[in-house]
Amino acid sequence: MGDLLKRLVKLENIRKIYSKRVVLNNISLSVYKNQTIAILGGNGTGKSTLLRLIAGIERPNSGNIVYPTKSIQIGYVPERFPIMIRFTPSEYLYYIGRIGGVSKVILEKRIPYLLKRFQLKDNQRIQKLSKGNLQKVGIIQAILQTPDLLILDEPISGLDQHAQQELSIVLKELKEQGATILLTYHESNFFNDLVEETYYLEGGQLSTTIPTTEIEPMKLIIAKQLNQSAVKEWGEVIHAITEDNKLLLYVFEKNSDTVLSKILHLQGTIDSVLTVDTIKGKV
Amino acid sequence: MFEFIKYSLQDYIRSQKYFAPISTYIIIIFVFYTYTPNPIIDSYAVTALILFVISAWLCVSFLSLDSTVQKQIIILRLKSNTRYFVGKLLSIWLVTVVLTVYAFLYPILFQMFREPVNFTLGFVAILNHMVLAILGISVASIFSREVIKSPISAYGGLALCLTISISALGIYDVLPSIFKNIVWIIPPAISTQSSLMEWSGTSITQLSIFSFVWIVIYSLLVLLLFLKLSRR
Repeated sequence: MGDLLKRLVKLENIRKIYSKRVVLNNISLSVYKNQTIAILGGNGTGKSTLLRLIAGIERPNSGNIVYPTKSIQIGYVPERFPIMIRFTPSEYLYYIGRIGGVSKVILEKRIPYLLKRFQLKDNQRIQKLSKGNLQKVGIIQAILQTPDLLILDEPISGLDQHAQQELSIVLKELKEQGATILLTYHESNFFNDLVEETYYLEGGQLSTTIPTTEIEPMKLIIAKQLNQSAVKEWGEVIHAITEDNKLLLYVFEKNSDTVLSKILHLQGTIDSVLTVDTIKGKV
Repeated sequence: MFEFIKYSLQDYIRSQKYFAPISTYIIIIFVFYTYTPNPIIDSYAVTALILFVISAWLCVSFLSLDSTVQKQIIILRLKSNTRYFVGKLLSIWLVTVVLTVYAFLYPILFQMFREPVNFTLGFVAILNHMVLAILGISVASIFSREVIKSPISAYGGLALCLTISISALGIYDVLPSIFKNIVWIIPPAISTQSSLMEWSGTSITQLSIFSFVWIVIYSLLVLLLFLKLSRR
């Protein structure tokens, strides 16, 4: 019973087919209150489809999606926010809020507050906004009403540094308020400190283990007598950390020889070279 | 729902997609009443039939307004796919109400008729415009991109359906007797025309109400089918 009370959404043997192609096959998943789940996978693996199914805006070909609590508030940030919206951000957000049943009084306070937080100007129609600003509108519309379940499909794509930071803070605040967060991303390790559980989608199947196609072999070069600022301009270095006077450099396997010779050229010493498996796009 | 209708109408106005169908109707009415005087019942019957076609045009342009993602965001807020489409259809109907008022008042205000329009005639004229507008909306909804994905099939199918609807009487005449019942599945756009042509215009009790009721029933059935198909 306690488990049922905590469960927000349950997916049972979900199958989704697009143009005779099985995108999701036999997916079962339980999402619990206040959980933060990431769904990762390559392009076209069905991440966005899965999120739309969970949001209830698409129907599976077979299987059930059960919401134990009837009236949960769902916020949804689409991967690409629609361009052809003939309203200014505040006009649009006002309508979206009102359609969702938010009172005028609340919206009159909340909309300017969120626009200011995300540094979004309100002087032109949404159809004329840049990609990053469109994404901001997409995020704000999803959090106008504090959602029980917030679904974000690649939310940081196109966002500037400030908006990325702000989104990260907003998500933490929502989590503190008890919201459940479900998101997909593949370009960075931006949400690592927020995500509690990660699922991988491959071949229409959901699993907790990283699919082999998502694993990218890298080399971890541990060097001594070398300053971190010296490697700053090296395009081959994906990530650099200094630990106990040692410089840890993550590089793609194919670039490791170049980096090793550069270290030696600067009269640094190589402590060790390790092979590490990383998820594509993440270190 | 009220806020959604307001949003839809404002969005439609800003899209300027209303311009072609509405200006076409305004011009047609203007040209239609160029010569005076005109018979009341016949004139209103014709302007209502034109509104049937214009309503279908409005419906197609209205339902193609929101992108898929925009539609999904609104459905999430409304918590119902059906509410979304009912709101859209009500918005279109409100536009056709404005056109009905125009079609009704224009010839009266500019004295285009032989005699004054009495209450009964006025009521029947407005009713005829309204039911034919609903029929136009319902028929077009079935040919919208929500049901038929290919634009060519949708527009072609709708054009064919509207043509068949208007020429249903002629089709009935040439059909062999065993196929005459097929006419029942054709949108009954001209069923009220026949009733109105036979009506003296003095008392509403002399008017065949069935044709009006049949249009409403037909439209509701088609709209229910549309709502069912749009949920796929």
